[in-house]
Amino acid sequence: MLEVRDLQVTYGQAPALWGLSFELREGELLVIVGPNGAGKTTLIHTLAGVLRARAGRILFDGRDLTALPPHRFCVAGIAIVPEGRRLFASMSVRENLEVGSMLPDAKARRAESLEAVLALFPALKTRLAQAAGELSGGQQQMLAIGRALMTRPRLLLLDEPSLGLSPLIVHELFSAIVRINGEGTSVLLVEQNVMLALRVAHRCYVLEEGRMVADGSPEELVGRDAIRRAYLGV
Amino acid sequence: MAGFALPSATLLAQSILSGIFTGALYGLLGLGLSLSWGLLKQINLAHFAFAFLAAYLCYQLAVSGIDPLLSLALIVPVFFVLGAALQAAMARFSITPFNSLLLTFGLTGIVEAVIQSVWTADFRKLESAYGEHHFKVAGLFVPLPELITLLLAAVLSFGLWAVLRYTDFGKALRASAEDAPIARAFGINQRRNALLLAGACSALAAVAGVCLALSFTLAPSQIYAWIGVVFAAVMLGGLGRALAPLLAGVVIGVSEAVTMAVTAPSWAPLVSFTLLIAILLLRPGRAA
Amino acid sequence: MNKRSARSSPHPNPPAQAGEGALPRTPVAIVGTAVALAFLPALGLPPFYETLLYLILLWIVLATSWNILSGYAGYFSFGHGAFFGAGLYTSATLMARFDWPFLWTLPVAAALACVLGVALGAVVFRVKGIRGEVFALLTLAVTFVLGTIVVNTPLDGGNGVSLAAVPIPRIGSTPPATFYLLALAAATLTLLLAWGIAVSKLGAGLFAIHDDEDAAEVMGVPTFRYKLFALAISCALAGLAGGIHALFLSYVTVGEVFTIAVPLTVVLMSVLGGTRHWAGPAIGAVAITLLLYSFTGAGMAVAGKALVGGILIAAILFMPDGILPRLQRAFTRRTAAALPAAAVVPPAAVPSATVALGELLLQARGVAKSFRGVRALAGVDIEVRRGEILGLLGPNGSGKSTFINVVSGHYVPNSGTIVFEGRDLAHRPGHRIARAGVARTYQIPRPFPHFTVLDNVALASLFGGGLATTAAARRDAMAWLVFTGLQEKAHAHPDALNLHQRKFLELARALAARPRLVMLDEVLCGLTPNEMDDAVALVRRIRDQGATVVFVEHVMRAVLAVTDRVVVLDHGVLLAEGPAAEVMQRPEVITAYLGRPDLAGRPADTPPAEQRHA
Repeated sequence: MLEVRDLQVTYGQAPALWGLSFELREGELLVIVGPNGAGKTTLIHTLAGVLRARAGRILFDGRDLTALPPHRFCVAGIAIVPEGRRLFASMSVRENLEVGSMLPDAKARRAESLEAVLALFPALKTRLAQAAGELSGGQQQMLAIGRALMTRPRLLLLDEPSLGLSPLIVHELFSAIVRINGEGTSVLLVEQNVMLALRVAHRCYVLEEGRMVADGSPEELVGRDAIRRAYLGV
Repeated sequence: MAGFALPSATLLAQSILSGIFTGALYGLLGLGLSLSWGLLKQINLAHFAFAFLAAYLCYQLAVSGIDPLLSLALIVPVFFVLGAALQAAMARFSITPFNSLLLTFGLTGIVEAVIQSVWTADFRKLESAYGEHHFKVAGLFVPLPELITLLLAAVLSFGLWAVLRYTDFGKALRASAEDAPIARAFGINQRRNALLLAGACSALAAVAGVCLALSFTLAPSQIYAWIGVVFAAVMLGGLGRALAPLLAGVVIGVSEAVTMAVTAPSWAPLVSFTLLIAILLLRPGRAA
Repeated sequence: MNKRSARSSPHPNPPAQAGEGALPRTPVAIVGTAVALAFLPALGLPPFYETLLYLILLWIVLATSWNILSGYAGYFSFGHGAFFGAGLYTSATLMARFDWPFLWTLPVAAALACVLGVALGAVVFRVKGIRGEVFALLTLAVTFVLGTIVVNTPLDGGNGVSLAAVPIPRIGSTPPATFYLLALAAATLTLLLAWGIAVSKLGAGLFAIHDDEDAAEVMGVPTFRYKLFALAISCALAGLAGGIHALFLSYVTVGEVFTIAVPLTVVLMSVLGGTRHWAGPAIGAVAITLLLYSFTGAGMAVAGKALVGGILIAAILFMPDGILPRLQRAFTRRTAAALPAAAVVPPAAVPSATVALGELLLQARGVAKSFRGVRALAGVDIEVRRGEILGLLGPNGSGKSTFINVVSGHYVPNSGTIVFEGRDLAHRPGHRIARAGVARTYQIPRPFPHFTVLDNVALASLFGGGLATTAAARRDAMAWLVFTGLQEKAHAHPDALNLHQRKFLELARALAARPRLVMLDEVLCGLTPNEMDDAVALVRRIRDQGATVVFVEHVMRAVLAVTDRVVVLDHGVLLAEGPAAEVMQRPEVITAYLGRPDLAGRPADTPPAEQRHA
């Protein structure tokens, strides 16, 4: 479904991704782990159209997205849940969700999508009129995921959803993510919390300093030193 | 120095009413300015020049016999296109908000020169049927042109507020102003939205210009007289808002009018500018 | 204001290259030209020309004086009319009301305008958010407030002030000549001051403030004091111009000066000529005044105004740095002036601290910092011992960068003490902390884009290291560039460097301030393995020089290789402390980074991975 070939991205002055290649199959929950500074956010932003690749290809269902303007990535069916949420803080919960469904197809099914999101995250139901900036960290993360779901995406990109959240909330979130994936949406999840991410993954890549250094199923990787070395150096 | 003189109740009430009318025009002028500053991150000094250009066009059409309010139908679309075209040109360069201030100042000079070359620096007054009508409400004098201004300002402010609040277009604009890259990632076409918004702000300037023409004597040098007080209204209300400029404008207009009634007309500017200074000192973050 | 650093001009005002002790060429040239021009009236020109020249000189004073604060430091003021007007009315009132002789009113006019400016600056510069357009609007508002007060009080009373009865001193043979000569003197003074500031330490500080005020403050530039001083001089000169102009007009009204026209014209002239150069505004003043008057003379004043507007637009879009830098680039060949080998002295070792090796250098106790409800640091106790390389580690969001920002003075902590060599630094302004011997680098390098690599480091020598002259600072800076291997790039601009070189520039800049404590914020991020090895070696040499290093890093092999001790933060709290290899094996640290295998559990209703993959 998603094929990335030799992706090179510079971020600011620094080259962040050095000829990255990987693929994601339809319906998969693919996890990419790696220490900070490895380039995970750069990858997600490039796949969502927020950053422009310097070289390489992004193929989505055979269509080449690489050179498209940013707002067309969403049209193609890719939605982002950015690191740090990046909600529209002064707008209400409902409005944030509505911004997620601006495109014609999504807009036509807005009511339906809204219901589905609220069913997935009941905590948002009572807070529809509240400003997004006033929510707690966990609620914000739920809203960010909900906003992405409103676009009715084929591929959902999640950038470190567990950041700054307590273990209990993180569990709720990951349950939701698994449920979303179970209903047919492909998921690319980038995480620092390796153990948890591996629990939900179908497959996993390890990203270190802008390059993929290992890949395989979670069971294969858990034992391997690659992860330990990447994160802890020992 | 004029001393303090407590006016009669009627005079005070009349002053307040007159302040509301002037304030409405401040608000109408401030509306386009606030929206383009808050949502497009451009400080458009040329907004005032455009308003005056529209005012002069309205005057000219009136001289040819066209009713000022009808001329809106002609003038507004023209300015909408003008504003969008300007935005298209400016979008090719990445201009900081501060540089947009300087750039539009240059534009103001050009527009002022155009006005002066066509209509000379002499004072021009639009003589219309509206100027001759007035109402008497509860013993107070309500001139028709000012009433029209108030109504237009109210309708447009509320209308835009509703657009920003309830329509998808408005939400897209607000989202883009808050986090442009992420808004784009959700499919919002910012280029197109910016063109529409710029056109709308320009159209608002045109409406304000027609109101100006109805009530005031026009002269090219007068363009600058409104800048300070309208900026005060915009900053008092907060950027990127639709109702706030009108309310802030009215507050300033009324304070000025009361000051004028109680002391002397020449003290009026002190009110708005002291307010502006106070806001900027206390909440500089409002402009960011 | 406009960060088009790719086409930026070089630091526009290098100090005199002549040997130390010879008279600098520029002031001699200025004074010489002025003396020559002083003989112009003897040529017997028609009064029109003398008046035109007077006006040109007046605008030179106004534009150049404005530029001292606004162009150099980047605080574009729209209030120059207020100070001009203050001087104008001071002079007018003293002459008309109190029968003062004209020339005696001038110093008073300048002094009053200066006091006004300082009073304004003392308030406005203290408020952190007031920059850019907010500062511009605020100063504009001040102009109108002042104008309103003047027009409503006996100062003007709405009728203006008539100076027809005041005698004009006989400095020149005719009144126009007199005003011309006075303006010439004022312009000479202004240009000399503008040049003098530009090449001085004050000027270097102002330009640094323009590029990055926060970084400048943390590097040791006393930003508040410098801005205030620049404003004071700027206002004094504007006041002087006002005083002269009062008698020239002989009938003064508020509408002449307390308007938006004066500041906007001044901005236009400076932007056109070049705001970073002492002579830029003067060139703009001459060009614009001549342009406007030639159009007025031809009866096309209106077209002139339009043309000026068009020029401003073109300048903003295509020549944001102004005319002068363009000309400079066209005419000067920028040869990489290599300093003679003898001049490169190996950097002196760090002055010995008052604290002995191994003793406590920095002690942070209970340091807490929150941002809008988010607790970045929740009461942290960290000790740094002299001579060690301490690693500061932790997963994303643990508070490492916040800690560095707090210690260096970017943020004020909500609570806690930070005792450095016996002194509590917690609430001191950034430049004092820098002077005390604390330096830091930034994760994403923040060099001053308009300064050369050499000057970037020289600034640190000047302000952090406390060297006295720019020449000495440059020599010292060169030594640091050699130390970090950047000497080839000394005369390039930061945007010509790659990431690795910019990181090393950051290091050189931090070291030039002669710190006893250096804090490095993710200096290895983005580097290739080879570059990382260079960087690590450099860190060791820094310590060997005598500095103590706090090293925030994610690259674990570097941490293991170079640190003596590490401290691990998590969610704003201290988690562990000790030798790196040992600490990284502790269970709580592993959990913080990777999550706990057993706690991770399986999210509810998730079938095991093997069963899910369809």
